[in-house]
Amino acid sequence: MKKKKNRNAAIIGIGQTKLSSHREDVNQPEMVHEAVVEALDDAGMTIDDVDCVVHGNMELFEMVHQPDMWHVIGDGAYGKAGVRLTTGGTTGATLACAADNLVASGLHDVVMAVGLEKLQEGHTTGGITNMADPLWGRSLQTGALTGTTAHDVMEEFGEQRAKHASMKLRVIMDKHAMLNEKTHRRFGLTDDQIEPMAENSPPLVGELRMIHMCSQSDGACAIIFASEEKAAEFCDNPAWVVDHETVHREETLAFFAGTYTDTMSTHRAAAERLFARNGITDPRKQIDVFELYDPSSWWGLDWMREFLLLEGDEHLKMVENDDIAIDGSFPINPSGGVVAGNPIGATALLRVAEAAMQVRGTAGAHQVKKDVNMALASGFGGTFWSVLMLLSKQMPQ
Amino acid sequence: MSEEQPKQEIIVSRQVISIPQRFATGPVMGRFLEELRDNKRIMANRCPKCGRHQVPPREVCAVCRVEADQWDEVGPEGVIRHFDIVYYASPDPLSGEARDVPYAVAWILLDGCHGDAYFWHFLKESDPNKVRKGLRVRAVFNEERTGASTDIKYFETVEGQDSGGET
Repeated sequence: MKKKKNRNAAIIGIGQTKLSSHREDVNQPEMVHEAVVEALDDAGMTIDDVDCVVHGNMELFEMVHQPDMWHVIGDGAYGKAGVRLTTGGTTGATLACAADNLVASGLHDVVMAVGLEKLQEGHTTGGITNMADPLWGRSLQTGALTGTTAHDVMEEFGEQRAKHASMKLRVIMDKHAMLNEKTHRRFGLTDDQIEPMAENSPPLVGELRMIHMCSQSDGACAIIFASEEKAAEFCDNPAWVVDHETVHREETLAFFAGTYTDTMSTHRAAAERLFARNGITDPRKQIDVFELYDPSSWWGLDWMREFLLLEGDEHLKMVENDDIAIDGSFPINPSGGVVAGNPIGATALLRVAEAAMQVRGTAGAHQVKKDVNMALASGFGGTFWSVLMLLSKQMPQ
Repeated sequence: MSEEQPKQEIIVSRQVISIPQRFATGPVMGRFLEELRDNKRIMANRCPKCGRHQVPPREVCAVCRVEADQWDEVGPEGVIRHFDIVYYASPDPLSGEARDVPYAVAWILLDGCHGDAYFWHFLKESDPNKVRKGLRVRAVFNEERTGASTDIKYFETVEGQDSGGET
């Protein structure tokens, strides 16, 4: 059954800063302002056309509480309707869902979602560790680092094949990142580095190595969502929001290990619900490009199977056969993904931004080669929260 | 010709905040911590509907969403179901000090628990050649106990006892 909405919302403006390990040339509101100005220019709007600003980051990183009060200098929300959201790593995806809801409900005509992080200004692993419940998990947690998925994938497919596939995925992501001037880590990796890196990159936890893991980045992203009327007025090539789905579970049940044992993963549950509501029976045929929140190349590899509802080793084959490359049959992360750039509060919004650019045909050097009618974006956060957003070139009926 | 503008120094403000905290544990978690401290017992609560254990206990069953008001002693031995050998020197949030590496954490199915009701704690052994799924381990309690996760020092290998079957 379709989700109830009063009208459709479309993405008509996108802005993102250059992602970097150090943005010490600007303060937080100045960095936000860069993304906001670019999004407004892209939409052909001024801040006066925006009715509502939805702001999000993870304040536990920079330890600035109610950061929207400071950032208002940069995001232009002064005097407008607004709300601040923070849902961990999914923050950016939640911002997009909220902006869609605010437009689709009829409450506002133009809503701007703004996500940001300046991880350089705080302590990332310390912040994530303090997300765990303070009565037990806080003393045990190591940020978002875990090698359990690497262990499981190696157990299922053999050590050699698993290590090769995860590192090949990492190299494909870097090849995509080399096409995206705005992302953070662009190494120029080549296929002949796959085997040496799988053995020599410094280990973080088990077989999760430094090169597999996402970066800590500074950056901001802004996306403008508009009603059908406003989209027609301002934009020739909108990306329409078809639907979105959020799934999460109680923390201690789902936390990193045991996620796939007795109960379905949150990723698979989100995909099943979203696809069932929207007539997606063969996601790799009906969806043209997937921008996946890949916190590490082990999780990225494993999660392809969950999100695309695959069985067996299909997901490994997609990597081994280069299906997921930018010119492949089912491109994944033409942006370079989260392993290339990760300003956490903006990260999941950047996934939506990339999916929308692919639908709009505005991704430039990292535009996929095939026609894009439908794109999927995912968000991931804290305790296996999963968010999916489906975008289309055609306005949903 | 005007002189070239000198490059502006962008000043970085360096700050450290340190916040003493005290968290109420509540009657459910509080009972669990009290049993650890006073009796060196690991208590799980059990869902009256599905029979799952939760350890540490939470007020309601995460699956059935009913009050989990039954109590059982579980452990102190169990079997490793997942583990992590950690090489990254992350800060201990209770002290701010970098942890000694490598160290190991495991998700342990304690005797008396079923399904994925794993108990998450440190292992004594961190040699990746000696830690494996299926390994039988037992809780070692600290002499000084305060009603905290650290009342269990770690889980140590039970020599010569392997549950078998698991690799």
